[in-house]
Amino acid sequence: MKLLQACGVTKVYGGLQALTDVDLTVMPGESVAVIGPNGAGKSTFLNVLTGLTPPTTGRVLFDGTDVTKLATHKRVRLGIGRTFQHGRLFSRMSVLENVMTAAETCRRGGDGAPRETAMRVLERMGLAAQAAEAVGSLSYGQRRMVEMCRVLAGKPRVLLLDEPAAGLNSGEVEQLVERLAALREEHSVAVVLIEHNMGMVMRFAERILVLNFGSTIAEGTPEEIQSDPAVLTAYLGEGYSHADL
Amino acid sequence: MATRRSPLLLAAAILAVGLALSVVLSEYNLRLLNLSVITAIAVIGFNFAFGLAGLISLGHAAFVGMSAYTVAILTTATGWSPWAAIPMAVAGTVLFSALIGYPLLRLKGHYLALATLGLNVSFFIITANWLSLTGGTNGIPGIPQLRLHGYFISGERYFLRFGLVFLAAVAAAALAFQRSRHGRAMIAARDDEIAAAMSGIDVTRVRVAAFALSAACAAVAGALFAEHVRFIAPEDFGYVHSITYLAMLIVGGEGSVVGAILGAVLLTFLPEWLRFLGNAYLAFFAAMMLAILIFLPRGLVSLFRRRAPRRIAEGRS
Ligand SMILES: Nc1ncnc2c1ncn2[C@@H]1O[C@H](COP(=O)(O)OP(=O)(O)OP(=O)(O)O)[C@@H](O)[C@H]1O
Ligand SMILES: [Mg+2]
Repeated sequence: MKLLQACGVTKVYGGLQALTDVDLTVMPGESVAVIGPNGAGKSTFLNVLTGLTPPTTGRVLFDGTDVTKLATHKRVRLGIGRTFQHGRLFSRMSVLENVMTAAETCRRGGDGAPRETAMRVLERMGLAAQAAEAVGSLSYGQRRMVEMCRVLAGKPRVLLLDEPAAGLNSGEVEQLVERLAALREEHSVAVVLIEHNMGMVMRFAERILVLNFGSTIAEGTPEEIQSDPAVLTAYLGEGYSHADL
Repeated sequence: MATRRSPLLLAAAILAVGLALSVVLSEYNLRLLNLSVITAIAVIGFNFAFGLAGLISLGHAAFVGMSAYTVAILTTATGWSPWAAIPMAVAGTVLFSALIGYPLLRLKGHYLALATLGLNVSFFIITANWLSLTGGTNGIPGIPQLRLHGYFISGERYFLRFGLVFLAAVAAAALAFQRSRHGRAMIAARDDEIAAAMSGIDVTRVRVAAFALSAACAAVAGALFAEHVRFIAPEDFGYVHSITYLAMLIVGGEGSVVGAILGAVLLTFLPEWLRFLGNAYLAFFAAMMLAILIFLPRGLVSLFRRRAPRRIAEGRS
């Protein structure tokens, strides 16, 4: 059973073709990376999947139903979670309150109280000690982790991450990869990862989709992508035969 | 710490301070305090829209007026009891605000400010010109007094005790609401509308709810105002009053129930204390607003919150 599916998604901004006929299928528990140079349309693709931007043409399906016209908050409640490239936290709330917001809207039968759900997620991601702190007082890496906690508190079935490792130090990246792997293992959460950190991509993704100027130029396993000539050209320009992706 | 203060404690504090003042103040100051109490209820309402949900609404006085006029018309022209007219006025105002909220709240920022300002101006024009219903600029005199157990709620002192019960109830409810998931959803929708939607919050619904709640408090204030002065006219609800509510909330501390009350009381008494300044009061007022915006951007309540981690305390008590 396919969990999340994008069919022929095209997005036009004025005269700019930000996405052209992009397809993607994500199975439950799968980890897929979407890579591509700056401006390739990766964030725009997540905006379409989450309903923040309507596609010009194309459809988005979740769990077998067409959600193309469904409002963002309803998709979230169905189980689509997402973090943002330029972290978005509620600045007037504490860490715990930030995480509680999603726990409160996405309650399903059998869940505990939102406060407990939020605390559990914070503990798991190593932020329990900061629960009462203002988000403004945290380090950059911690703030990104709070955003991750907020998404997780909504119990997503697919997690869309827009450059989660940007700005993190190597230790933090390591920790992030481990935690994401554990999440997939225990809750079979599917992950769609947008990332420029190729080390992380190659280690984490089972499958990679490469976008360039809004079009899919390659799709395959990390090994296939690393040796794909179209990908090398897109990243490095003509004339290079191999690269350290 | 302000954030831990429970709604019941706040209600008790309001009643205790208010009752003590009702014993010691002169008739003149009691009248001002009554106006402060009524205004505070309106400003607590404004805090839902502006302080929590971040809606720049400049038509709040129209909701106060709509309720006051409903009470006045129902009790004078149709002979309703004030006790029946008040809930009717509140219900009618809330319904109107929700209906108008849906189209209005598609607008944001300055556009919303202008549209709501227009609403307030329209309200003034209608009340000033619909002679057969509102008496035009002459207003509506002779609004009957409230009666409780056969006694009229008359005189400033008695009315104050009555008004305090409303203020305490509204303040406690507002504080409890603000700390609930619904209050958090409003703060989220203001802080980051996209992140709010991505956290499963229905931003449009939350905005309309904030607007309707603000109108509900405005309506309670308007009904009390009609029963207090017992004579209302269009200029009691002009757009200048909407701007005053905004000034009160900013002076007291936006996002804070206690701040709303402090601002309402201070800016009701201040012009009277500074009467000797004459027209220079306006210059003083402008300077004071500037000073507060620069040195106390979180309003007077932030003075009491020095030790609380600032960002946490914001938007909560
Ligand atoms: N709201 C918008 N209006 C107009 N153009 C837009 C809008 N959003 C994105 N674009 C354009 O669409 C293209 C794709 O942008 P997008 O942010 O999706 O790229 P990206 O792959 O996420 O890049 P990066 O790696 O830099 O984050 C860019 O040319 C961008 O300028
Ligand atoms: Mg991007």
